[in-house]
Amino acid sequence: MSIIQVENLVKSYTTYKRGSGFGDSVKSFFKREKVDVHAVKDISFEIEEGCICGILGPNGAGKSTTIKMLCGALYPTAGKIDVMGYSPAKDRVKYVKRIGAVFGQKSQLIWDIPPIDSFAMNQAIYDIPDDIYEKRLKEMVELFDIEEVIHKPTRVLSLGERMKCEFVMAMLHKPEIVFLDEPTIGLDVIAKTKIREFISEMNRQGTTFILTTHDLEDVEQLAHRVIIINHGEKVFDNTLESLKSTLGNKKIITLTLAEPYKGETLGGVEVIRGDNAHKVSLEIDLDKQGIKEFLDNLSETVSFLDISIKELPMDMIITRIYNEA
Amino acid sequence: MKHLKLYRICLRTAFSQALAYRADFVMGSLITLLSNILFPLVTVLIYANGATFPGWNMWEVLLVQSVYSMSTGLASMVLSSIVWVTMDHIRGGSFETVLLKPISPLFFIMATNCDVQSISLFAGGVVMAVISACHTGVAGIGAIGSFLLLFVAGFMVLCGMDLIMAAISFKWVGNSRIPEIFDSISNFGKYPLSIFPQAVRVFAVMVIPVAMIGFFPASALLGRLDPKAYLSIIPCALFMCFGIWLYNKMILLYEGVGG
Repeated sequence: MSIIQVENLVKSYTTYKRGSGFGDSVKSFFKREKVDVHAVKDISFEIEEGCICGILGPNGAGKSTTIKMLCGALYPTAGKIDVMGYSPAKDRVKYVKRIGAVFGQKSQLIWDIPPIDSFAMNQAIYDIPDDIYEKRLKEMVELFDIEEVIHKPTRVLSLGERMKCEFVMAMLHKPEIVFLDEPTIGLDVIAKTKIREFISEMNRQGTTFILTTHDLEDVEQLAHRVIIINHGEKVFDNTLESLKSTLGNKKIITLTLAEPYKGETLGGVEVIRGDNAHKVSLEIDLDKQGIKEFLDNLSETVSFLDISIKELPMDMIITRIYNEA
Repeated sequence: MKHLKLYRICLRTAFSQALAYRADFVMGSLITLLSNILFPLVTVLIYANGATFPGWNMWEVLLVQSVYSMSTGLASMVLSSIVWVTMDHIRGGSFETVLLKPISPLFFIMATNCDVQSISLFAGGVVMAVISACHTGVAGIGAIGSFLLLFVAGFMVLCGMDLIMAAISFKWVGNSRIPEIFDSISNFGKYPLSIFPQAVRVFAVMVIPVAMIGFFPASALLGRLDPKAYLSIIPCALFMCFGIWLYNKMILLYEGVGG
């Protein structure tokens, strides 16, 4: 069942071009050039209940604007958003009571006091009964292992500790949908892993997650569904498996050569990258040439000391989709 | 009831926040108190040198100014951070963190950003008002009732001013000097209205009713209030309602910043 329905969503606004340097600044003080920005252009999609959906796109693609419209923080210029029967911006107060959000670059915690006081404030705002609040807080604090952290002032916490507290803050009221805007930005591997485990656990308990990120591991490890936005337009919308096969049935072969590479074609395939004179990478399309056939050709043309065969990396797939769009 | 409970909890949070930096809290409170208490000294100096505000003795003028301090102190405590917090949120693109709360953004900002240091200004105003009233006398219990009514009306004016200033920042990002204009206008409420030209009087009573901030409530205490002054409560209420309406309307213009 669709929990989010977005139809022909558009967000445009007007800004002013201000040039650079002293001359341009003076000029723009008297006359400013208007610039119409079309941040989101006619995007439509539906998201199923219980899904983790990753929204990807390069910087300035319109991901955050889309998320903010879905959260009810921005009014769409045109189009329709229906989330759990609500129009987010129009029914904001009722609607936001049922959602949560974590913005990786904007904190909801109060800087000078411990997170536990911010949590208590949220308990009052969301009108959470004491027993439910205590139970939920205990559960999440244990999951993140932050019993001591929540009693220290927010300003002394590390980024990883703060992000964990941001998650607790956003999920105390047991939201049905949680919007995450770059939740793992700037975090170390351990903190990222902990946060991904938390998201997976909450998803198992029924929470739907909409996630924007530049970290493709977030998507690979969490997302059931991927939407790619570029220049404000949707350029891909399908499962993670479909995304992986979107460029065809391809593998990356990395070879360590016995002799220095001299620019020749190896096994009938072009070299895409040379790390050094002895180590090169090739991209093989298995729909055109089977792996056995390739290895036979390869062993006839070159002698190699080592070989590795890997799936096409996600960043390569995404980069090509961005470039093609 | 729910909002009262919420306000109490948010206020407690705001206090904890203010008390996190003890030296800043103490110094800030003292500086606020001193900088505002020094102002009536000018009035004392004027009268000590033989000059006067025609028709008003020194203690009456000091009473007007202390009521003004009480009003602005209370407004600073409860409301003034709306302007700066709204501006900061808009400039930094973090207003969505406010919009994510299932309550009025105005109420949320007001409750979570109480300027605790302004208590000193309010308390200083109360002390000065009591001292001045001891010298001038108070025109009976009815006068105290009128004072309270008009004091609330004066608070509405300051509320309207703060909301209008905050609302402007949704369209005009970085208007940090606007509060200075409003401060200058509200200063008309610090003096007896009779010393101003007719045009200023009409402005201070009917357009932006700043006379209600200090002059009218103090006049009520002194028994010198023109009954027509009660009519000014209407523009005061309208001014505050306009501020609330404008703020809520301007939120729709919020566009965030690049992500």
